[in-house]
Amino acid sequence: MKKHLNFVVLVLAAATLAGCNNTGSSSGDSAASTTLKAGLITLHDENSTYDKNFIDAFKAACAKKGVTPVIQTGVPEGNECYTQAADMADHGCNFVFADSFGHEDHMIRAAREFPNVQFSHASGQKAHTLKLANFHNAFASIYEGRYLAGVAAGLKLQAMIEAKPETSTNIGYVGAYPFAEVISGYTSFYLGVRSVVKKATMTVTFTNEWYDETKEKTSAENLIENYHCSIISQHADSWGAPTVCENATVPNVTYNGSTESKCPKTYLISSRINWEPYFEHCFDQLANKGTIETDYTGELGSTLYDGSVALTAPGKVAAVANTEEKLNDVAAKLRAGTLHVFDTSSFTVSGDNVTSNVTVDAEGHVTSYKADVDPDTANTADTEVVEKDSNGKSYIAESTKRSAPYFQLHIDGITRIDNTKQN
Amino acid sequence: MPKKNKLFRFRAPFHLVKRNDMRWWQALLFRLGAVVVGLLLMCLVLWIMVNANPAAVFSNLVSGCFGSQRRTWVTFRKMALLLGVGLALIPAFRMRFWNLGGNGQILMGDLAAIMCMYFCGAAGWPNWAIILLMIPSAILAGAIWGVIPAIFKAFFNTNESLFTLMMNYIAAGLVTIFLGAVVTSGSGTLPMQEAGHFVSIGGNDYLLVILIIAAVLAFIYVYLRFSKHGYELEVVGDSENTAKYIGINVRWSVVRTMALSGALCGLIGLLLAGAMDYTITADSAQNMGFTAIMVAWLAKFDPFAMLGTSFLIAFLDNGMASGVQRAFGITNNSIGQIVIGIVYFCIIAVEFFINYRIRRNHPTLDVSVNAEKGGK
Amino acid sequence: MTETRLPYLDLEHISKSFGPVHANQDISLKVFPGEILALLGENGSGKTTLMNMLSGIYRPDSGSIFVLGELATINSPKDAYAYHIGMIHQHFKLIEVFTSLENILLGVPHNKKEKNNPDSYDKGSAKDAKKLVTKICQKYGFQLDLDKKVYDMSVSEKQTLEIVKTLYRGADILILDEPTAVLTPLETERLFRVMRNMKEDGKSIIIITHKLNEVLAISDRVAVLRKGECIGSVNTKDTNELALTEMMVGKKVELKIDRDEPIHPTPRLEVENLCCRNEFGREVLHSVSFTANSGEILGIAGISGSGQKELLEAIAGLQRTSQGDIYYNDYDDSEERIDLKSKSAAQIRNLGVRLAFVPEDRLGMGLVGDMDLIDNMMLRSYRSGKTQFVDRNAPAALADQVVKELNVSTPSLHTSVRKLSGGNVQKVLVGREIASSPKVLMVAYPTRGLDINSSYMIYHLLNEQKKIGAAVIYVGEDLDVLLALSDRILVLGDGEVRGILDARKTNKSEVGLLMTKQQSAPKEEQEGAAHA
Repeated sequence: MKKHLNFVVLVLAAATLAGCNNTGSSSGDSAASTTLKAGLITLHDENSTYDKNFIDAFKAACAKKGVTPVIQTGVPEGNECYTQAADMADHGCNFVFADSFGHEDHMIRAAREFPNVQFSHASGQKAHTLKLANFHNAFASIYEGRYLAGVAAGLKLQAMIEAKPETSTNIGYVGAYPFAEVISGYTSFYLGVRSVVKKATMTVTFTNEWYDETKEKTSAENLIENYHCSIISQHADSWGAPTVCENATVPNVTYNGSTESKCPKTYLISSRINWEPYFEHCFDQLANKGTIETDYTGELGSTLYDGSVALTAPGKVAAVANTEEKLNDVAAKLRAGTLHVFDTSSFTVSGDNVTSNVTVDAEGHVTSYKADVDPDTANTADTEVVEKDSNGKSYIAESTKRSAPYFQLHIDGITRIDNTKQN
Repeated sequence: MPKKNKLFRFRAPFHLVKRNDMRWWQALLFRLGAVVVGLLLMCLVLWIMVNANPAAVFSNLVSGCFGSQRRTWVTFRKMALLLGVGLALIPAFRMRFWNLGGNGQILMGDLAAIMCMYFCGAAGWPNWAIILLMIPSAILAGAIWGVIPAIFKAFFNTNESLFTLMMNYIAAGLVTIFLGAVVTSGSGTLPMQEAGHFVSIGGNDYLLVILIIAAVLAFIYVYLRFSKHGYELEVVGDSENTAKYIGINVRWSVVRTMALSGALCGLIGLLLAGAMDYTITADSAQNMGFTAIMVAWLAKFDPFAMLGTSFLIAFLDNGMASGVQRAFGITNNSIGQIVIGIVYFCIIAVEFFINYRIRRNHPTLDVSVNAEKGGK
Repeated sequence: MTETRLPYLDLEHISKSFGPVHANQDISLKVFPGEILALLGENGSGKTTLMNMLSGIYRPDSGSIFVLGELATINSPKDAYAYHIGMIHQHFKLIEVFTSLENILLGVPHNKKEKNNPDSYDKGSAKDAKKLVTKICQKYGFQLDLDKKVYDMSVSEKQTLEIVKTLYRGADILILDEPTAVLTPLETERLFRVMRNMKEDGKSIIIITHKLNEVLAISDRVAVLRKGECIGSVNTKDTNELALTEMMVGKKVELKIDRDEPIHPTPRLEVENLCCRNEFGREVLHSVSFTANSGEILGIAGISGSGQKELLEAIAGLQRTSQGDIYYNDYDDSEERIDLKSKSAAQIRNLGVRLAFVPEDRLGMGLVGDMDLIDNMMLRSYRSGKTQFVDRNAPAALADQVVKELNVSTPSLHTSVRKLSGGNVQKVLVGREIASSPKVLMVAYPTRGLDINSSYMIYHLLNEQKKIGAAVIYVGEDLDVLLALSDRILVLGDGEVRGILDARKTNKSEVGLLMTKQQSAPKEEQEGAAHA
């Protein structure tokens, strides 16, 4: 026992000594109250690409604006979220942000309790109807990013067809859930592809998990083997699909960051929401005693890479050489408003997909579409989202009525396979 | 002189001796020592991984749990919930029915309560009526989820560990189906329910849970120590033959005990639904059904000892999450899990040293030495 | 007595404690080549502990072991074999699904054969082992089927296998722990013959036992242990049963069992054509009929596993019966015959039948090991009272009474019974069962593992129950006791009644013969097969 004791004392001594050299180590709770303090609540931790995207942006924005960051990872979508938000407010945070959809109600509860602290939430829907001064929603017009990524994929597909005419024009998409965020995402991606390759079709499959490496793998394998998909993209958070694509040498468009390091042969391009501009916006408003936008929709930046909607550099091996140049052209049109992703003339809706809230003309082009924008339990289609721009072009306005996506049309050319039956 | 039997040569350098003589306070000291060693190892690992000052680790561990009034309440509520699940499990465990289905039973109670809140709330029932319905529904749902594997165990002798484990997945699946049915769009998250919230005692959100669990603690103590049922399940746990010999209906005991175990888990689910989350996900049970197994085992299934073990786990979890991880900007949960795992490991490993003493084999008496001498 | 020979084994001042219990204290003992030493002592006197230190299972706290004059360290059974010491434990260490040969070979490493030496063998190879084992069997007269699986073997065969295995591994000293406890008189004779052959060959044998007649029959020398201390060793030819008992117990003991004539015996329990199958569907009781009278002790004799357990459990409502009837009469209470057939223990209790049962498996069936004395007393009575709560006052009083009257040695009433010695456990169990003033008292092997004093106390208790009119059914293994205690003896063999004898008129050999007689059982089986 004596020997054990000696060891323990040694460890303690070593640890204390080491600690002395390290007195500068940050302690979130004891920071001075003169500087701003901001809290981030994430569902998982940095091992999830989704949460890592928030964590990295938050840290960077805090560093840039001199704000003290307080980060709580692994907060489930329940009482725990409220508790952590309230605790952050207790401990002097001026701003608390939560990254998961299910956090919203619990953040609102905290917002009501702490009127002097600003609360914000990614992908939420309630701020614009709630009218609570200190509660905000934020998202980005990520469908534009996906559209651009789709253009890059289209260029690649065209190159593949030129090199080998028998190449399948079908592409695949591994989605998480059949929710608006995902539907809006894959539809814009598909429209991007089709802006280059007119006859392209797409097969979509859902894993019904945000993060499930095995399911994402098997889904990608299924798409490649059984649906002859020439290119795969995904809206799910693991490395499942990119890994499968790399092994099968199928070009892959990723989400939330480049996979070039691990998948150099097949990585095409990736789109993501860059949260840094939003956090900077919030910190600036806090510092200037201004107001944070209630429903913030981040947009493309001055380049492809610095906006709230951002791309990563196209893959050196897989992407077509002039991709960047082409994308800059398209992005310029999107910024100028001369090109709309959901231009009603660019797609058709037919058959059962023409639901009661949709009207189409003889060719199948949408003339009216009421989307579910305002949150309510019955999910009523409450807001007309088909608009005309100054040139008379009709398009579906996504992410303008509220930040979170609401486009849910099932357009022609996309086949959704029912996973439950297939498994 | 016969030559040495060459068939068997290997010699172990030490051997184990079972201890019978350890007093309760010695054992307690050993366990406290294990916690201390675990915490020191934790500091070492954190120092290596994130360059954390050990003193700051300790202070943040404490402040993470008790740094504010809210944190203190949160810690005690977490402890109460873990204790509650542990209390739910021990009647079954004492019967040697290894109920690994706490998660599922909690979730079913949770689901039943949320369904009451959702449907009755939509139908415009008054709050008190919804609560009156929630209580029996949740308890019954948990009990049913506990009774199903018990029936299979009692009548078909199926393995209860596997069975209860699988029931967890079915429960999670049922929650997903419910969410899929009532949340048709959006992200599949059920909004916080407005109806059927439990009362907060004097504006305190935490006290209700703590008081209910305190009552459960008293109930379980009396049930196990003084009731005929408690006596019977102990007999069944020790030996089924003895139980039959004195005419206990073993099947009925198994089913009845699991109904109680499941019902109490259902009660925890009720508290999650009505007093804390007001919504449900497939992960709402937060693995308490498993964590509480540790609470129960470390306390040797003693209800009052579980006060200590549940506190320890709540302390480590909250101290690590709200204190240490936040203070050192740790955004990788694995680090927290690893260091807590180290502490748990020490706590579990010390049981070995409480039960056994390691003795070195006397090298001076080693036969080879003597054989050499003899040879000369 | 001075010895000039070099002892094969020399134990000097060996002590061993388990916590506060001194299992062995300062024991010195010598074993010479070519002798059979009997290690005699009551249960718990430390015989097995001492031998376990020789075979490497325990290590002495102090003291030294010399093998052929050389200081030895024995840390494991492997070490013990290195010193040519092998032990045959009471509970055999065999792999059930292996054959004899596989069990013998298990763990024996290969060794290189010497070239050009026909007598050199590779002990690890199956082929050579077969030759060697056959040699061993021939030499000492063992009968062993090398290809038979262990689960097909009788207890006696298993024991033979254990001994051969030990010899094969090169043991020159064999330690046999209570080898005759599981054997019939005939099998015991055979074992003793083999032991003598081994002795002739120069092997030393230590036999642990507490049966005096066996000690006198087989051993050359006797060492007596009492409460962990060695009382002394004597040459067998210089001693007798009474002297040894005195050494063992430490005081004069009256080895006499009283037997009064039954008073007004009336049929209390009538069993008619009882048949019973075990869980595998094999018939374990075949058409058993007998009557147990009040005021009488009915002894049941038989080789272990002949259906004794099933018979008692069928009466107690713990075993499903396939045919036959069990009637209980209590003429003191009513004229009615109660049929106990196919009734559960709870139903029998609810009918008001006062049936007490001391099962063979005390801690696995009669008592709850982890509970204290009070809670164990409560097993029979915990249902009393209308509330949902148990009353511990009456059981506590009963526990106190049992402890005082039966001299149970326990630290307190709150000690779990698992921590008590075998004798005390049995006293607690018998005490509880008798406390219910039973009309039928069934006891199975009640003195197994008990010291002489405790055993005689149990016999005395049974006699008292007989005197007050209970029908006592006593299942025993020691024929001497059965003959001395019972009024009538029922002999069971292969689940059938082989005969019911008047214990006052019969003798040991008659009972033994009935027990082992090969009934027409195989023939019947053939007939059965033919019918089917």
